[in-house]
Amino acid sequence: MRELLLLLLVLPLTTAIVVALLGPGRTAAVRWVSLVSVLVSLLVATILSIQFTVERTRETLSVDVTEGPLTFRSDWIQYKTQENLLPLHTAADGTVDSAIQFYVGIDGLNVWLILLTALLMLTCVLVSWTAITERVHEFYAWLFVLQLGMTGVFASFDVILFYVFFELTLVPLFFVIGIWGGPQRQYAARKFFIYTLAGSLLTLLGVIGVALVLPQVEADHDPGQSHLLTFAIPELIARVDALNRELPKDVQQLERAPKDMEANLQQARDRLDYWRRVQLWVFVAMMCGFAVKVPMVPLHTWLPLAHVEAPTAGSVLLAGILLKLGTYGFLRLSVPLAPDASLRFGVPVLGSLAVVGIIYGAFCSLGQDDIKKLVAYSSVSHLGLCMLGLFALNEVGLTGSLLQMINHGLSTGALFLLVGMLYERYHTRKMADYSGMGARLHLLAVFMVFITLSSIGLPGLNGFLGELLALGGMYDFRGSQVQGTLLASLGATGVVLGAWYMLTMVRQVFFGPVKEPQYEGHGQISDLNGRELAALLPIAGLCLALGVFPKPFFDTVRPEIQVVAGIAEAARQRADTEQAVAHRVDVQQTASVAEKK
Amino acid sequence: MNPTLITALTGFVPYLVPEMILGAAACVLFIGGTLRAHRHLWGGVALAALLAAGLVLLLNPLPHYESLSTAEAVRYAGPVVLDRLALFVRALSILGGIILVLFCWNAAPEKRAADYHACLLLMVAGMGLSGAANELITLFLALELTSIPTYLVLYFGKSRLSLLPPEMGKEEGGGGLDAPAQEAALKYFFLSVFSSALMLFGFSYFYGLAGTTNLPGLAEAFRRASQTGAMEELAPSPLLSMGMIALVMVVAGLGFRITAFPFHFYAPDVYQGTTTANAGVLAFVPKVAGFAALVRVLGFILPTLSRQTFTASLALPILSDQLPVLLWIMAAVTMTVGNVLGLLQDNLRRLLAYSSVAHAGYMLIGLAVAPRLLTAPDAMVDGVDAVFFYLAAYGAMTLGAFAVLEYLSTSGQPAETIDDLAGLSRTRPGMALLMVLFLFSLIGIPATAGFMGKFLLFAGALDVPANVEVAASLEQRKLFIALAVLAVINAAIGGWYYLRIAAVMYLREPPPSALPAAAKRERSWPILAAVWLCAVLTLGIGVRPAPLMQAVQAAVPRLTETMQEMTRQPAVLPKAALADAADQ
Repeated sequence: MRELLLLLLVLPLTTAIVVALLGPGRTAAVRWVSLVSVLVSLLVATILSIQFTVERTRETLSVDVTEGPLTFRSDWIQYKTQENLLPLHTAADGTVDSAIQFYVGIDGLNVWLILLTALLMLTCVLVSWTAITERVHEFYAWLFVLQLGMTGVFASFDVILFYVFFELTLVPLFFVIGIWGGPQRQYAARKFFIYTLAGSLLTLLGVIGVALVLPQVEADHDPGQSHLLTFAIPELIARVDALNRELPKDVQQLERAPKDMEANLQQARDRLDYWRRVQLWVFVAMMCGFAVKVPMVPLHTWLPLAHVEAPTAGSVLLAGILLKLGTYGFLRLSVPLAPDASLRFGVPVLGSLAVVGIIYGAFCSLGQDDIKKLVAYSSVSHLGLCMLGLFALNEVGLTGSLLQMINHGLSTGALFLLVGMLYERYHTRKMADYSGMGARLHLLAVFMVFITLSSIGLPGLNGFLGELLALGGMYDFRGSQVQGTLLASLGATGVVLGAWYMLTMVRQVFFGPVKEPQYEGHGQISDLNGRELAALLPIAGLCLALGVFPKPFFDTVRPEIQVVAGIAEAARQRADTEQAVAHRVDVQQTASVAEKK
Repeated sequence: MNPTLITALTGFVPYLVPEMILGAAACVLFIGGTLRAHRHLWGGVALAALLAAGLVLLLNPLPHYESLSTAEAVRYAGPVVLDRLALFVRALSILGGIILVLFCWNAAPEKRAADYHACLLLMVAGMGLSGAANELITLFLALELTSIPTYLVLYFGKSRLSLLPPEMGKEEGGGGLDAPAQEAALKYFFLSVFSSALMLFGFSYFYGLAGTTNLPGLAEAFRRASQTGAMEELAPSPLLSMGMIALVMVVAGLGFRITAFPFHFYAPDVYQGTTTANAGVLAFVPKVAGFAALVRVLGFILPTLSRQTFTASLALPILSDQLPVLLWIMAAVTMTVGNVLGLLQDNLRRLLAYSSVAHAGYMLIGLAVAPRLLTAPDAMVDGVDAVFFYLAAYGAMTLGAFAVLEYLSTSGQPAETIDDLAGLSRTRPGMALLMVLFLFSLIGIPATAGFMGKFLLFAGALDVPANVEVAASLEQRKLFIALAVLAVINAAIGGWYYLRIAAVMYLREPPPSALPAAAKRERSWPILAAVWLCAVLTLGIGVRPAPLMQAVQAAVPRLTETMQEMTRQPAVLPKAALADAADQ
């Protein structure tokens, strides 16, 4: 059945080529081919996720988090394809035992994101139906290349392949923003490209670094065996986790050993120290790329610009999927590959930045007059919440964070859609120009209110659970690195502020006395048509479904989330033990000093 | 005479048939060109000669020696070495030569076409030989064989005045060079001669120190000198300290060819002054020859001296410790200068000149890390193989970019400044898409050759082994990681100016005059073929890097293999080197 997943990668590529070859003359054909392609993609993705869910609910996978090494076990990955791309080492019998692989599959962390990608692609094709009139074939071709990149990032289980797809998303979006965007599109496109390129190149260094240093340290620790290079994510994580557990144990054992082992002890300590430093730098390097993508606060300036200038389809995909590449990268790579650094460095730094982002993003939203900008800044705030849950590093927080990724994709994607529809009708995005639109555009108003409520976390809709779990996870943070309760309480203010700015916008635009923007160039205004309804209904339906019946979601993601949480928990225990030891040594020293006096 | 020695001195001749074919074809072209001026005829002959040379190389790639002693004698006495590295460089030259001949089809005025192609063939032969040189003398001859035709080519180029509309040019077709082109040709000539002199000066030091011009012999002499010094804890032998001076001279001379800082400054002026085709030739030929020569000359240091790197002798100022520092600095400055100055350019050839400087900087990373990586048996790449991989990738993407510009300018569209390309995606969607492919490859976007090349170079820099117990090795490791970070930042800076071209082509509207002009354009099939060949290579290497990777890895043997080979056979040394080593 692995062909199904491959189809999700091959189909966008073929469609892109076909659409590009259809040429500028045949716009209707281009649109219909695109529609058929995304419908097939969505169908395949739905089948995949349903099969996967059924599989997961039938047999409960249990994770023993106390015993290492933990990893995303490769037998949990379904629809798996593993082919060697670049052999690096050949065993004596001629088989390749170390290679850069084409390694894709489905597991609990990516199954819903892949479905979300396919769903939002459908809405993008529908919403661009009349909005894009120039260079139509090029537009759809780039859109499908983007789909290939996005699906590929989520499905990759090889770090290099992950990076390849990660970078590949830049190119199409650059053109989508640059050609079909607003007045400042060129500047926005280039700023987006360079920001993300610079960040992700450092990420590349990080992922190569961890893969290369790992065998060196392993060989140092256990010289007897051969330690091959690997780029496969499950294997890398297992080996990193094993090393993380063994190196401190070595030090502890040697500390109890007789005095003549002093040299060995020093060696073991040096090795541990070195490995910790490597992990820190690996984490920092990976963080550069992912934090730009999320975006974390000081690096977010490309986002409002890109969002505002992008055409509606670009904004939907940017908010809905591309920002998730950052958080997904943290979840899939940064935390499991550098758990100690995530805990000691990531939690205080990124946790605080997340809180800053939540509040700063919310206030920026409050201050906007442009609806699209408001939604763009709300993304900064919501993604901050997502990061806060992620860096709680426990099961609750991680689940909440993953759910929040899906939620944000659905609700913010839909918000951009609605703003785009409003803009298509009146050619203005200024809030002050609108009033009482609810009386004119009944259906649009209904959807806007519904999505707004989902976005601000009304119980019964999807946003509520995600926010609750993410904040709850942080509240429950048990390490000594940060005050979890403090961060969670500060983060919670973001939820309140979120309700404030979203509802203010809805009141201003849709309620009150009717006032239509008086600009030239718009004809008879009508409510949502069938095409627009088709774009919005599945999203709204999923918002409701996730809100009232989230159990399948939790069931499917649990094993992998437990793995990440288990890895992080082990790191926390190591940190606590080391702190206790350091404290004891400290007390002993003060005691001996006091005795001497 | 000793029969093995005879084999050593003459046995290589049948294997140099490809170069002989090229040389003979060049003679035919030079003479034939005086009889008949016909662009397509002589281009076809040049192409046929290259294909024949390639075929011969394929059929008869590597010599087999009956005994080890013969192989050994060839190594220490033969003027050329016919190992896999030489094979790789020669194959790369011939493939590059085919692209160059296609790409320069219209580069010269009709009556000069034969001469132009003859020069190209000689350059190809020279490039290949510089990868096969086993002697300082052969190396010098090979490098001159690429340089001298380059001077001619710079004078042969079509005057750009002839490309302008008649009312703007002062005279019709090919009537002499304009001032910038003359300046470019002269500037290149003088600096190239100067750099050759520097290199020869370094060579003479080597000969004086070791008493031989044979590269493996030199290597042996230096290795013994450093070993005796290390064992007896004496001050380093003068052979090593003087050797450093010679080495700096040689690196300076070759630095000119690869446009490394501070020998890069001619490149922007020359590229801008001359024609697009000539600029393409300059971006490819001297780089391949220069890097092949650098690897050959430095090759005698890399495998022999570096095995002491992680022993007590770390403090000794031996060449293998100092050389990476020199190359580190050159790499760091070269790529930074190239990329930062590239940001300021508006002229396309000048921009691509800075881009070629920057790429030379990336490739120097591979050479800088090579002495360290060669000691690590498990390293993923060993630096030198990454350099050759990048060289092939660089050739495909840079020649591709130049070929697109050449194609545009021969079919009537000016391609001088970035603004000339405005809206190219509307007037010529195919060319614009191919140009974007080359530009993204130059940036290093995945699925292109440039990405795999950068990936291997960065992996090399990050893979420098660190021995936790030896503080100095940790320090070095940090240095190389810093180099990798610097390279990454540079790649992002470079992204800006490549992207600017892409943005102009796709995001700007074409000038109103361009659309009608596009309708009545003429096509030049050979240049189009060159563009497509480069595009296929760029994409092919990016998507399926394994074949090229295997080729470069076979070309650059690991130290572990080299060491086995050395321990198996005690080296037969030239007497002078032995005596010199014994003196220490």
